[in-house]
Amino acid sequence: MIIRKISHFLCNYENIVPLFAGACALLFLAGILMQPLSYEQNQLYPKTIDRNSSLDPYDRGGPPFTMVAIHSQYPENSPSAGLVTTYLTPFSQFLADTTMHLGTTIVAHPGGIIDEILYNTRGLDTVVEPTILLIAFAIASYLYRKVG
Amino acid sequence: MINLIGGVPLYVLEFGDELVYLTPYTITLFLLALTFTVLVLISRPEKQVDIAFGGDAYRTKEISVSEMRFRRFMAIACGLATMGAMVTGDIFNFTLFTAMVGITNVGIVAAVKSPHVQDAAYQYGLVSLSATIPLFGGAAVYAATTGSLSMIELMKGTLPAVPLIAKGMLMLGVIGEGMAPFYAAKAEMFRAPGAPYVIMCSLSSLLIFLRVVEVVMLG
Repeated sequence: MIIRKISHFLCNYENIVPLFAGACALLFLAGILMQPLSYEQNQLYPKTIDRNSSLDPYDRGGPPFTMVAIHSQYPENSPSAGLVTTYLTPFSQFLADTTMHLGTTIVAHPGGIIDEILYNTRGLDTVVEPTILLIAFAIASYLYRKVG
Repeated sequence: MINLIGGVPLYVLEFGDELVYLTPYTITLFLLALTFTVLVLISRPEKQVDIAFGGDAYRTKEISVSEMRFRRFMAIACGLATMGAMVTGDIFNFTLFTAMVGITNVGIVAAVKSPHVQDAAYQYGLVSLSATIPLFGGAAVYAATTGSLSMIELMKGTLPAVPLIAKGMLMLGVIGEGMAPFYAAKAEMFRAPGAPYVIMCSLSSLLIFLRVVEVVMLG
């Protein structure tokens, strides 16, 4: 009988969102109760903060094409990884030279999001992430043309 | 420690930091996704027929070619994302592919002219959207507590143990993409005409779930 009631509740798709929200809340509560989680100091992708840099907190360090400031899990697989992560577009370079706030706007100008992913030079992520954006824009534009 | 479900990797494709590895388990899942994607690519979609019980009345639902093309595009994108999730050896890539499957599933039924299907797709979209929080959060906890995102490294057992909460978050994120008990919205989306495209919604979630079971066994 109780299973029937649960099934009846679950079969209404309008109950799914609150149910999922409840499940997330429970899980996050369990996460808080399970604190502290130990932070592994030996991080593959460490991040340092330099408050004097105009690119803070996204300063990759080093001049492009000459110095590699990042770590790789398997450096032998991609010897040239990291050589271009410090490259800025001329506009970004201008902002970096004239203000101290480029790091805070890095996701707010074209190339910013992709740039941040390139920070760790994790190749396929760079492809998959814009693909998700492409799919989302394809759906939105299709619906706009058909329905709008 | 080699994970129990997947078995020993038979082949590792060295692709930067994001290795692709094949075990008997992942090969099976990959081939299933590939077969169905090819089926979607070459098959002609069905036309739904509504029959009124107790009478002779029936009508065929007309679906425009452009709509079908778009849905086929979405179904193929969904198949490719599923294939990627099956073979990837990286936790963050896995979460990305899973998020992509969620978006393409909405896309498959996005243009269906049925308010019921649209309502269900909207609800599914909301859950799928919010599922990305535990999904990516889980990957972040993986990175913070082990220091790496590579499944091969997790498999070796040299890294610190992955906390249960990270596995739970990853699992909840995948379950939010349409597994039980959050399947109702996805089940209603199946009322949309146009098999085999709509079947892709179900198959992709199933395969992703089978893969995440293997992933949480690592480390």
